[in-house]
Amino acid sequence: MTDTTMHASTSTGIDSGKLGMWAFLSSEALFFGALIANYLLFKGRELQGIHPRELLNIPFTSASSFVLLMSSLTMVLAHAALTREDQKHARLWLLATAGLGMAFIGGQVFEFSSFYREGMTLATNPASSSFFVLTGFHGAHVTVGIIMLLTLVGISLRQGSLSFGKGLNLELVGLYWHFVDIVWIVIFTVVYLIR
Amino acid sequence: MIEHAHPTPKQYVAIAGILVVLTAIEVSLYYLDIGGFNTFALIILMLIKFVLVVGFYMHLRYESGFLNRLFIAGLGAASIIYLVVLLTFLEWTPG
Repeated sequence: MTDTTMHASTSTGIDSGKLGMWAFLSSEALFFGALIANYLLFKGRELQGIHPRELLNIPFTSASSFVLLMSSLTMVLAHAALTREDQKHARLWLLATAGLGMAFIGGQVFEFSSFYREGMTLATNPASSSFFVLTGFHGAHVTVGIIMLLTLVGISLRQGSLSFGKGLNLELVGLYWHFVDIVWIVIFTVVYLIR
Repeated sequence: MIEHAHPTPKQYVAIAGILVVLTAIEVSLYYLDIGGFNTFALIILMLIKFVLVVGFYMHLRYESGFLNRLFIAGLGAASIIYLVVLLTFLEWTPG
């Protein structure tokens, strides 16, 4: 028996929360696709003012990418711990995930502020606008994920345990978090690495 | 609740190791800049990382075909729509 067949009460045989999350993530792919396409449109153009490509700090962003990849690992380790009914380690891995997410956001704040100091703002040119909108929306998604992780830990402390049950649960938060990670995998390659 | 065979913690760590190695190769390619092959190699590495996270960390390879189709439909629609949009702009925008 699988995760999806045990919810026999739904017409699809799939847990409604999980189905809703996958549908939401599918729509998010369209949302981020629009922002990435918008950036690509202006990436190679001659524009007035500083182009994002002139300021990108690849070693620093590589370290940020490593941090976000590791947060995906801690997230699945939380899932694995909860599967073993190991509440304590599940909570610790969730807190580690939130901590790594905060480190990533800290890095993004540092990167944005250094770009502003160098003279590249949201209004410098279409390339800078599309860069800040794309990476900024991703950062906003990471921030929402951190809030969800901390809320989950708070709820578990209040109720006494984490679960895979109804409402905001570890599996749904995990799906959201990993999605944020795969969006960054694409952004890191398309925006930062491809010349 | 009954859980089906998801990867073990050791396997999760092994996948993270692969992701880190692939990222290191990506960053190396940025500095090596091996010409026209660079972009192609970076896209292939990105896709491998993407599939690893979606398949193993999001457990999509263990899920029903319905969920797989649902997510792939969103990704496919996004790829096709924005490819068409980009090609249209490239065709019609001077310079």
